[in-house]
Amino acid sequence: MKKYAIRMVILISAFILFIGCAHYIVNDQSRNFDSQSGYRFDTLDSGPRNSDSLFVCLMFSVGGAPAATLSYGIMEALRDTVIRVDGQKKRLLDEVDCISSVSGGSFTAAYYGLFRERLFEDFRVRFLERDIQCALASRLFNPVNWIRLASPYFSRIDMAAELYDSDIFDAATFKRLQSHPRPFVILNATNIGADRRFDFTQEYFDALGSRLDLYHVSRAVAASSAFPYLLTPISLKNYPVAVGYTAPWWYENALTPKNWMTDRYNAAKNLSVYLDKDNRYIHLMDGGLSDNIGARSILDAFDRGFIRTRINQGAIRQLVLIVVNARTQSEDQLSREEKPPGFLTVAEKTATVAMDNYSYDSVTELREALYARVQTQKDEQACVAMLSKYCPQVPAPIPFADDIDPYLIEINFETAGQILGEDPRYYLDLPTSFKLSKEQVAKIIAIGPKLLQAAPQYQCMLKVLAAEAEGQPRPEACPVGAGIFP
Amino acid sequence: MAKEYLVVLFPRNRRVMINGEFMGTTNKKLELESGLYEVTLGPPKNFTPEKHDVDLRNTSSLMPMIVEFREAV
Repeated sequence: MKKYAIRMVILISAFILFIGCAHYIVNDQSRNFDSQSGYRFDTLDSGPRNSDSLFVCLMFSVGGAPAATLSYGIMEALRDTVIRVDGQKKRLLDEVDCISSVSGGSFTAAYYGLFRERLFEDFRVRFLERDIQCALASRLFNPVNWIRLASPYFSRIDMAAELYDSDIFDAATFKRLQSHPRPFVILNATNIGADRRFDFTQEYFDALGSRLDLYHVSRAVAASSAFPYLLTPISLKNYPVAVGYTAPWWYENALTPKNWMTDRYNAAKNLSVYLDKDNRYIHLMDGGLSDNIGARSILDAFDRGFIRTRINQGAIRQLVLIVVNARTQSEDQLSREEKPPGFLTVAEKTATVAMDNYSYDSVTELREALYARVQTQKDEQACVAMLSKYCPQVPAPIPFADDIDPYLIEINFETAGQILGEDPRYYLDLPTSFKLSKEQVAKIIAIGPKLLQAAPQYQCMLKVLAAEAEGQPRPEACPVGAGIFP
Repeated sequence: MAKEYLVVLFPRNRRVMINGEFMGTTNKKLELESGLYEVTLGPPKNFTPEKHDVDLRNTSSLMPMIVEFREAV
């Protein structure tokens, strides 16, 4: 009996020791640098039905299950929209080149990136209509997990990532994302050590000296949606850079002190965090802490990334950016009361007001960057016309490789009021949780295509594409620039 | 962010490499962020000088910075 008791004690102790030493999955080290491999835009195949001339990027915002659901509704709308580009009939979805996502939006983006058409078959049942919060809570109440959670290297976020890995993403790694053609999916998180945005792309992992292809997509999505307090950070190891590493082209000479006020300098500072090997570990939380919309990585691509190179090469004709902003906002009751708000309300507002304003600024910056290009093109056209009229002997200014025709389409719940029979308050009052009723899911999915159709910029894009396909002149109601300010 | 403008002149149509990245072609206007860049051309290496180091700033679309390569003899 005594022997049995001793054996049991040893067994239980070993079990506790084993489980108590639980550790999060550590990212793998990269030994050899290769700029032509890994998960980067330029290494992805464009796909048989994707042209560069129509270049489409989507941005999926924060907002829990409502964000994932609205993004899904927009994906359905793009699937069902038939266009003709360069004589080829296709779905607008086939032309999507990149998706940048944050938090709830990252579930839809990653699922489409990994499983493509399966998104429309089972994502609704596997994720949108599922009570993810309950599934997470049931894992939390499992006594085996209590022991694992006792380890300082295993936390609630790792449990959440395990759930996403087994129940949603089929244990897929970035290698699977990489095996598909475009779109390039950028999952955004926030480095809470450096207070900066972090992208799950090979460019960032190169700086970490690490291989993204072996990393589980579920962990990237978990980082992107690790809501503060409820969940904990996802951690990455920062290794020495691989043999032969070269920084991205724009990084060279970007950290010149006199350029400290430029975006290029700031982007280089962002990357330099990981090149500083004193920062041995990186701790990531919800991407919404640094960008609620997913707009900043698209701005980076426009300023110095894969969009900029293609604009300068004259490859892009129509540049279409679709922002799916699932921002919810309860009706303002504070302004109707004489009594000042209490501690909890102030705490909540402290967390949300700054980011809401930053999101507005991000979309505005995108809009203005695109419109600045339109104005430059118009200035040049006016100059050429004036020279040809008054000084025909003077050579015309040197042109761009090609003019671009940009569109910025923002989808949000506030514009639901423009749709007959829809009340924006229904959507704006939705909880930003990971639990929706089937009725709520159905309503959000249904409103997505309607919001897209109601956007005048989207209508202009369709008219211009249709006119081009039929060899007709550009519709007068949609001059270049109407895709931004209709 | 404000953009700067660069034109790389060469008697032929050739790739323009900015810090080693293919960024467009010669005799067309490129739109870039301000700052220091190494400008050169794609192969064949029949041009001179080998490269230009430029500090791209204070340009406008109608007054871009011009750098020129000549054919090597």
